[in-house]
Amino acid sequence: MHRLIENAKGAVDQAELYWKRTHTVDVSYQNNQLQEIAEDDLSSVALRVIHQGKLGSTFAVSPEQDGLIDQAKTAAAYGDRASFSFAPAADFPQVEALNPQTAELRSEDLVELCEATRDAIRASRDDLALGVSGQMQKQTLTVETTEGANAYHESAETALSIGAPIKGAGIGVYRWTGSVSPLSPPQTMIDEFLEWYGWTEKTSTPATGKLPVLFAPDASFLYLLPLWAGLEGGALEKRTSPITDRLGDQILSEKLTVMEDSISPGSIGARPFDDEGVPCQRRAIIENGVLRTYLLDQRTASALGQTSTGNAVKRELFGEGTETKPTPWPIRWMIPTGTRSYRDIVADLDEALLLYYGMGFHSGNYPQGQFSIQAIGFHIRSGEVVGRLENTMVSANIYEDFQHVREISSEQGNALGFLNVRAPYILVDSVQVAGL
Amino acid sequence: MKEKLAGIVGGLSADYVDLRYEENRKTRISYKGDQLVEVATYETSGGHVRAYNKGGKAVASFSDPARASGMAGAVAASAAIAGGRRDKPLRLADAPVITDSFPIRCEHDLRSVSFKEKLDLATHYNQMILAAAEIATAETDYDEFVSHRIFVNSEGATIEYEIVLANILGFIVSKRGSVMQRVRFAFGGDADFSRISGRDDDLKKRIAYAQQLLDAQPAKAGLFPVILDPSESGVFIHEAFGHLSEADGLQNNPAFREKLQLGARLGRPILNVYDDPSLPEHPGTYVVDDEGVLGVRTELITQGVLSGRLHSRETAAEFGEPLSGNMRAVGEIYTPVVRMSNIGIDAGEDEFDDMVASIEDGYYLVGAKGGQTSGDQFTFGAQWGYKIEGGRLGPMVRDINMSGELFSTLQAISMVGNQTEGSERGGCGKAGQSNRLSGKDTPPIKIDKVTIGGV
Repeated sequence: MHRLIENAKGAVDQAELYWKRTHTVDVSYQNNQLQEIAEDDLSSVALRVIHQGKLGSTFAVSPEQDGLIDQAKTAAAYGDRASFSFAPAADFPQVEALNPQTAELRSEDLVELCEATRDAIRASRDDLALGVSGQMQKQTLTVETTEGANAYHESAETALSIGAPIKGAGIGVYRWTGSVSPLSPPQTMIDEFLEWYGWTEKTSTPATGKLPVLFAPDASFLYLLPLWAGLEGGALEKRTSPITDRLGDQILSEKLTVMEDSISPGSIGARPFDDEGVPCQRRAIIENGVLRTYLLDQRTASALGQTSTGNAVKRELFGEGTETKPTPWPIRWMIPTGTRSYRDIVADLDEALLLYYGMGFHSGNYPQGQFSIQAIGFHIRSGEVVGRLENTMVSANIYEDFQHVREISSEQGNALGFLNVRAPYILVDSVQVAGL
Repeated sequence: MKEKLAGIVGGLSADYVDLRYEENRKTRISYKGDQLVEVATYETSGGHVRAYNKGGKAVASFSDPARASGMAGAVAASAAIAGGRRDKPLRLADAPVITDSFPIRCEHDLRSVSFKEKLDLATHYNQMILAAAEIATAETDYDEFVSHRIFVNSEGATIEYEIVLANILGFIVSKRGSVMQRVRFAFGGDADFSRISGRDDDLKKRIAYAQQLLDAQPAKAGLFPVILDPSESGVFIHEAFGHLSEADGLQNNPAFREKLQLGARLGRPILNVYDDPSLPEHPGTYVVDDEGVLGVRTELITQGVLSGRLHSRETAAEFGEPLSGNMRAVGEIYTPVVRMSNIGIDAGEDEFDDMVASIEDGYYLVGAKGGQTSGDQFTFGAQWGYKIEGGRLGPMVRDINMSGELFSTLQAISMVGNQTEGSERGGCGKAGQSNRLSGKDTPPIKIDKVTIGGV
């Protein structure tokens, strides 16, 4: 136990130490040239205390920094009544996530990976302003509380992304992969990137009105973030969630299952405990369209008279990090696959959209399940991709439109960014499409 | 500390090295509904080092100042490795060497205000919202950032400067039956606490809009002429055009760079756009950037023609264009990137009533609700709007998103209002850095046609 927590005993009612250390190496190629090598060595600390029944926080770069307990006590003097306790001792699931070979990757290794990937693409297309970046991040996370939680986890992950701007347009095509093991140039991703890039070279305008829309794994945030907004404990506590008191109800298509898959070994982002030191769980959030559970942290669980689901993450829609308050957030979601490949699904579509991104999500009324975005993707006509979308908007309400999921693909892909998700392609029957 | 840092960069064998060290004090007070969920005042520190060596570039961030010297040496070596892999060496434009201090001073400096007074003010605003009819909940935050920065480089620059600003901001959620609507508010945006206090009347207006939205109908999807209020026109010019004026985004995109040559006609002669870090009482105001370059006003579009660009020393050298002083980092762990300070559209000659009268069937969009851009594609929302029918403002509408392609939309700006209005809150996302210090000062504008996406 860190001496900060030892010292906190007796000085405050309860204390919680969150300490993250990261070593990151990042190599970035732009327009086929090595633009920058970056290497960071960072440490950050959050200390929360409950003092005289009130909650206070402070932050620092090291737990050795002088006066942290006093700073947190001062904050607590002004703070609200704490209606919850910090995490008690617990047994954590085994999640092996530290491959020493990954942790030891140096900038030279990432340069080699990026150049091999770049050269593989250039062997087919040497006319692209190609961007390639490789990253390794080793992370050590400690969460300790005076109530007994003593959680420590080391992980190392590596990632590779490729992208190129579309000629004559401002947008680009991007693909990404990540692993807990060192990567080789990923041929499948390279082939897909080249195929998708080829699809972008023509534009095509879809019909306006209600159309089938196939959501690629990368676009899964469009329907999963509104779902998160309905599931998270804060919205339930305020009763602003449209799915308050709906456990056991069919809220989405019976074809859709969403798993919290946070502890699968070998998965990007897998972890044994959340940012409050509560064990993570593998469980169904949505099972065949039926709402099975919500997402709770210590505070919201207490407010709702329940227990934390191990979903406390220092994350907001547009912010994350040690200085961010823990809120209920997906650790790692997974949507099980269907039976047919997405290419077979596309082949059966007469007039439809394939979306891989949407711009402007946050401007919509997502807490109520809605999104209205500028569609980034492809136009499908007579079973074939006929070009990229331009000036096309797609609007939906997940609690209405995602009642009508027609098909789910047999492939899954990883999506990062807003959420850590492994998702298949999902075909929704009828979504509002507007365009020029 | 200054001398120690100067000694580190001076002792390295590299073409250029700079080091920025920050001590940052943050205060956050956060209400969710009637719960005070966070009260925190704290300090963090750390540094960032950049090196250009043999035509390559490397950077590093560190938390422990004891690591500064070691990491600076490693960065210089990595830059040389990077240079060996490039066909075309990176270089920096010459910049004046500054040795000066730029402290921030103002009459009602928020640093002289007690924590209790800040908490009481946030509590007062939050209670005002929650006491109103048909209000389901609210979030009210006091967000204060005080940064003391030291910048040194191997050319001899030694600069001490400050960033000081605070906002009270949040959103109001109204609810009737199954209809729920959100309206944002934000006060402040610089070091002057008097810009945050005494804003009850402004908050009452925002509460009233949230209540009125419960009776509004969703906007219809389609192609319409629109008038953007100053808040919306600010987000439009920031998101759709401003990011394309940041040279680091164009640097490695040959097709786009070709399209955005200085002298290209982008709009009608009524359109004049600038970036200005010297505008008083705006969130994006500063003297010196995080690359040790003085910030200057840059004319970006003059009478409809592309006339300038925002630069780092690296991009200024590559483009052969003047320095603008727009390299900025939001905190100690970040490398600076090129970004807007305060972007503005010069006031035009049109009266608002004439703008409305010119539209037969369209919308007046009010209140920025965030936006996003990818190259020449943009999209952003409005907090509410009004239908315009037969040249008159009609009923209030909600759930509005608009999108389009930059170049055709700039050409479609056909009227520019005769009064500008500044923003009080930044909030620009780029390269993983959310920037509070980003301002706007714009009039209402009329766009002849954009795509409106309704739900």
